[in-house]
Amino acid sequence: MSVVEYIDGKSIFHKLDPRFKLIMLLAITLVIFTVRNAWVICGMFVMVFICWKIAGIPIRKLTGMLKILLGLVSFIFLAQALFQIAVPGIVNPFRPILNGEPNLYFLNPLIPNTIPVIGGIGKISVNGVRMGFLVSIRLLTLICLMPLVTMTTEINVLALGLVKMGLPYKAAYMATTALNMVPTLQAEIGTIMDAQKLRAFTVFEEGNIPQKLKAYPTLVVPLVIGAMKKAQLMGVAMDARAFGCRKNRTYIDKLNYGTKDNIAFVILAVIVVGLISLNFIL
Amino acid sequence: MNEREVIIKLDDVYYRYPRAEEYVIKGLDLKIYKGEFVAIMGENGAGKTTLCQLLSGIIPQSQGGKMLGNVTVCGLDTQDHELAILTQKIGIVLEDPETQLFTTSVLNEVAFGAENIEMDPDLILETAKWALDVVTLNGYEKRHPTMLSGGQKQRVAIASAIMMRPEVLVLDEPTSQLDPIGTVEVFETVRRLKDEYNMTIVTATHQSEAIARFADRVIVLHQGAILADGTPAEVFSNKEVVAKAFLTVPQVSGLFIALQDCGVNLGKFPILLEDGIEMLQKAAVKGEQTHE
Repeated sequence: MSVVEYIDGKSIFHKLDPRFKLIMLLAITLVIFTVRNAWVICGMFVMVFICWKIAGIPIRKLTGMLKILLGLVSFIFLAQALFQIAVPGIVNPFRPILNGEPNLYFLNPLIPNTIPVIGGIGKISVNGVRMGFLVSIRLLTLICLMPLVTMTTEINVLALGLVKMGLPYKAAYMATTALNMVPTLQAEIGTIMDAQKLRAFTVFEEGNIPQKLKAYPTLVVPLVIGAMKKAQLMGVAMDARAFGCRKNRTYIDKLNYGTKDNIAFVILAVIVVGLISLNFIL
Repeated sequence: MNEREVIIKLDDVYYRYPRAEEYVIKGLDLKIYKGEFVAIMGENGAGKTTLCQLLSGIIPQSQGGKMLGNVTVCGLDTQDHELAILTQKIGIVLEDPETQLFTTSVLNEVAFGAENIEMDPDLILETAKWALDVVTLNGYEKRHPTMLSGGQKQRVAIASAIMMRPEVLVLDEPTSQLDPIGTVEVFETVRRLKDEYNMTIVTATHQSEAIARFADRVIVLHQGAILADGTPAEVFSNKEVVAKAFLTVPQVSGLFIALQDCGVNLGKFPILLEDGIEMLQKAAVKGEQTHE
């Protein structure tokens, strides 16, 4: 199962207009990168999961994606923790305001310099750990927000939403077709790996990290070539059905923007303003 | 023959793909008449797919490359008319059922082309109902195309192509990736289009059994040129053509060719199983009579 696969349902997220959902995505992204307090973003992260529950997104089926995401986030966290340079003036993400003043902090090695031998080793700093945590939780929240839109909106409706928001239909289709390709590519990866296993190539199951890294081209090269071929064939099929021949096109799908969307916009505005104003309090 | 309406005309057509040095289509002259069911045969690389795309205007309009000569479909030169107009005269179904379906439901898939030519949404829904009726997929509107069987996918592709009510339907090896049931489904659908709607059918295929049963005419391509053009019986009985273009003949024809090689000549050359059985029965009865 992939994050872009539509899941049929009757939740409020399914009923909302795609234009609202796209604007919500943009607005919350803005909030995630504006809010400086890591605890607030943690709160948002929990909220996103509650929204998953409301939208009927099966968490169990997305464990694969979450595992990859956690791997990526751990890497970013480590990179931040190890290489965060002491820049005077960075605000403490856990307590950005102290006594009404920005709470600036400076480099403190995780292992204080005063301890002999191991003091200051690896340059892991408290600041780095804190910044790593902030960047990681931002990224996690942002990515976990995506399924709320992609898994509750049919791709053609999403494309129509983008068009109604002023995007040229060719661009809208380019974006949504790319989303549509994700499950196909996932299936393709499965096929290639099966073919490799059948020829006793089990590095991806049993190998260590350097072996796996070395083996990636054997997976990526056929995948990319296959995807390019597919894209070309798809282009021919789209041309054969006159895609892009006219400036405009008609749609059999209809968007029904209504009171529910107006109410949702008000709620969204309150949330956005509320969260951003927390910057001045916490 | 001359009284029949010519619907597709190729005049000394040459074509080579972009960045290729050699022409894959070399001097094709061809006339296809309204209501005909034409099968295009030939080994891989003979130019079948290229010919199909030439007929539908995809070549050279979206593929580029160098084209000489003229292709006229329903009186329209395929080089001078935009694809939006050509798709209303000639529909095409491609080989791979996977890559030619790209929306999220059967109804959206069928409506896609009509939406592109700015057809009215209500009219689209009405026509889609008809198109799905023709391919006997009514009730599948909401299904995801990836959830269908191969034969069903190709029928969705056929429904998508006939949405614009074209006069000609071109199919590029539509059954090469299908099982026997899917193959029969597709050919039955195509025959219905010919019989009930007088649609002209051009299909590239290796399925000699299906050609024997459904096609009126077989054109054999070899290295980009026409090697043979005739009825299925004429083509399959021509040993030279069969050998040169590596054609597979229907099994029953193969049996009679083998019998001929052994010196047993039963007169006619069957391409359908039932004809073969009938001939063998007659021969058996005759043999018994002679024996008695």
